[in-house]
Amino acid sequence: MGKNKSSTANLLQTVAREGEKLQASERRNFLKQGLLLAGGALSGAAVPGVALAGDSNLPPNVPPWTKSLGSGVLTNPYGKPSPYESHIVRRNVPWLTADRIASISFTPLAELSGIITPSSLVFERYHAGVPAIDPAQHRLMIHGMVDRPIILSVDDLKRFPSTSVIRFIECPANGGMEWRAAQMDALQFTHGMISCCEWTGVLLSTLLQEVGIKKDAAWVLAEGADGSHMSRSIPMDKALDDALIVFAQNGEPLRPEQGYPIRLMNPGWEGNTSVKWLRRLEVGDEAWYHREETAKYTDLLADGRARKFSYLQECNSVVTFPCPEKPLTERGRYEVQGLAWSGEGKIKRVDVSFDGGMNWRPARLKGLVLPKALTRFGLEWDWDGGPAMIQSRAVDETGYVQPTYTQLREARGSSSIYHKNAIHTWRLHDSGKVTNVQIS
Amino acid sequence: MSRLAKSLSYVGLIVALGFVIDGHAEEAGHYGYGQDATAEQIAGWDIDIRPDGMGLPPGGATPEDGEMLYEDKCASCHGSFGEGVGRYPVLSGGEGTLTEARPEKTVGSFWPYASTLWDYIHRAMPFTAPESLTDEEVYATTAYVLYLNDLIEYDFELTQENLADVEMPNKDGFFFDDRPDVKAKRCMKNCKKPGSIKITSEPEISEDADSGTVETVVVEQPTEGQAVYQHACSVCHAAGVGEAPIPGDSAAWSARLALGRDALIESALNGKGIMPAKGGQSQLSDAAVTSAVDYIISLSAKQ
Repeated sequence: MGKNKSSTANLLQTVAREGEKLQASERRNFLKQGLLLAGGALSGAAVPGVALAGDSNLPPNVPPWTKSLGSGVLTNPYGKPSPYESHIVRRNVPWLTADRIASISFTPLAELSGIITPSSLVFERYHAGVPAIDPAQHRLMIHGMVDRPIILSVDDLKRFPSTSVIRFIECPANGGMEWRAAQMDALQFTHGMISCCEWTGVLLSTLLQEVGIKKDAAWVLAEGADGSHMSRSIPMDKALDDALIVFAQNGEPLRPEQGYPIRLMNPGWEGNTSVKWLRRLEVGDEAWYHREETAKYTDLLADGRARKFSYLQECNSVVTFPCPEKPLTERGRYEVQGLAWSGEGKIKRVDVSFDGGMNWRPARLKGLVLPKALTRFGLEWDWDGGPAMIQSRAVDETGYVQPTYTQLREARGSSSIYHKNAIHTWRLHDSGKVTNVQIS
Repeated sequence: MSRLAKSLSYVGLIVALGFVIDGHAEEAGHYGYGQDATAEQIAGWDIDIRPDGMGLPPGGATPEDGEMLYEDKCASCHGSFGEGVGRYPVLSGGEGTLTEARPEKTVGSFWPYASTLWDYIHRAMPFTAPESLTDEEVYATTAYVLYLNDLIEYDFELTQENLADVEMPNKDGFFFDDRPDVKAKRCMKNCKKPGSIKITSEPEISEDADSGTVETVVVEQPTEGQAVYQHACSVCHAAGVGEAPIPGDSAAWSARLALGRDALIESALNGKGIMPAKGGQSQLSDAAVTSAVDYIISLSAKQ
């Protein structure tokens, strides 16, 4: 037995040494490919059919990973993406904000499939950075115009009946840099302040029922435990409709960036109302008119007046392929793809134009079509190698049709910052390159 | 009837029906989880102020009381006259600009209620040390910012009783959400006149854009010192806010470097001038702060 055990150990050691050698060569290959990727993968000049690492791993040759053992279980106890995908990350626009504590980063929409945003890639928006909260020391206080003010621990909250929904969350400033003119040169920056996850939590209506709200109660103030004490006034009808107190995201506990250990989630509404790191809910009869619902997150119109409590994220869409990050490489057939969403409910249809909105073709809605969720669409198209102006236009189940820039500006001017949901145009050049433009 | 007004009447209906949810009503306390919140517990967290003054604590102060405090705690980001430093918010001026192409939305030109200012200063300011001001200090800084906007006199005492009466110039400038405000149609064929489509704007792209390269942001993994610097120090040091020396500015750093590494670490750990201890990030370990100091030294000594 002892001998066997020892020879098994030797064998394993030998295998491990061999594995290391092969992995080392694989690493070299990776580095080589990584350099090439950095130089060419995002460029429109990439030549199709030419393998970046040479042909040594392609048929009829057999690559080293097929002739060796791979790494074992628990190499990464919390899994991570392939190193070949390390370019798929959130990015920010340094000049947008004064610092990175009260700032925003963007989801790499061009790199994602389906409708779910991986938790690690959900866009970030903080007003005072991410607090490092010990969940055992976190409490949710519910008080004000209620019969029984209570304090819940995170475990108390989780005892209530829960539900799970797939919903988008979008910053109302998504695309806000484009109100005056086309400015950003990547999809990540024109539309990346949106993500879509499965959220699990307790309906706020369940909690309000538990504390008992008084007769004239009409508003709920939600407040975070971060340094900004982020606060928003939520009308009672939303609180009693589909608002959730969320503790899980895509099957695991909320990420710190998304409000760990608990956050409010107001489906279909501007993201800042879904207060993260939620510590307090106060029931009252009037709105509070705090800084984030007066100085910020109000929509200034051309006549100098501002729309307040503009919670809804109206119907919007964008083509995600092709886009500046994903140019076309050769003429021929492609499935043009994109994402559509509406805070009012389900997406009913999406049309795509290749001639700048002159003529439109209906796209196919792909996979799940859920209310207040990202909805993926696709349309097969033959690219003849010539220039095109590619647009998408979504219609939601209320019949609302996504407007043009001209229509939005006629109604609001261009100082609103928030709630820009205009039809977006990608200019496809005959080189296959894609750039951001606005057209008449 | 606006969407919100409809919503509010819907609330009345729901309340009248006594929470008929999922076809059955539950009484308050049905689950009984958690603990009753005591008045003392609520008082510790109940910080919100409303336009009608609800929530304001007793007290009061004049702009005169707030002047030095503002200079000490606020001016490094907002400027001595509320003009704003770098990209930090401008607090004063901007009257009459709301209809211009570049509106300046300040406390005086845009904010509808004075209560919002008291509430926000108390809940979130100073940026690096929220909830650090006493109630009297909040009254004083609120009064001073109102004074910077010519909304109260220098010797006016702003109090719990009169704050709600301070009239803001733009109090009537807001209206409830009335969207949809745009009614687009779903046209499918010949929706525009031929030849009418012109490019009205596109981002400024470098001249070699046609070579097919799209510039991308290279994200490097920061060292610990760099990460801590970005988290705790860069808020002020990157832009030179409050005369914070900018890393790499050899003129600003030479005298400081001459004091030696230990002295710089000492300042970073315990604070110096308006710089709070550990940049206000008290959860950071001493070692982490030290790594940030070393990072700053590495940038500044190179020059």
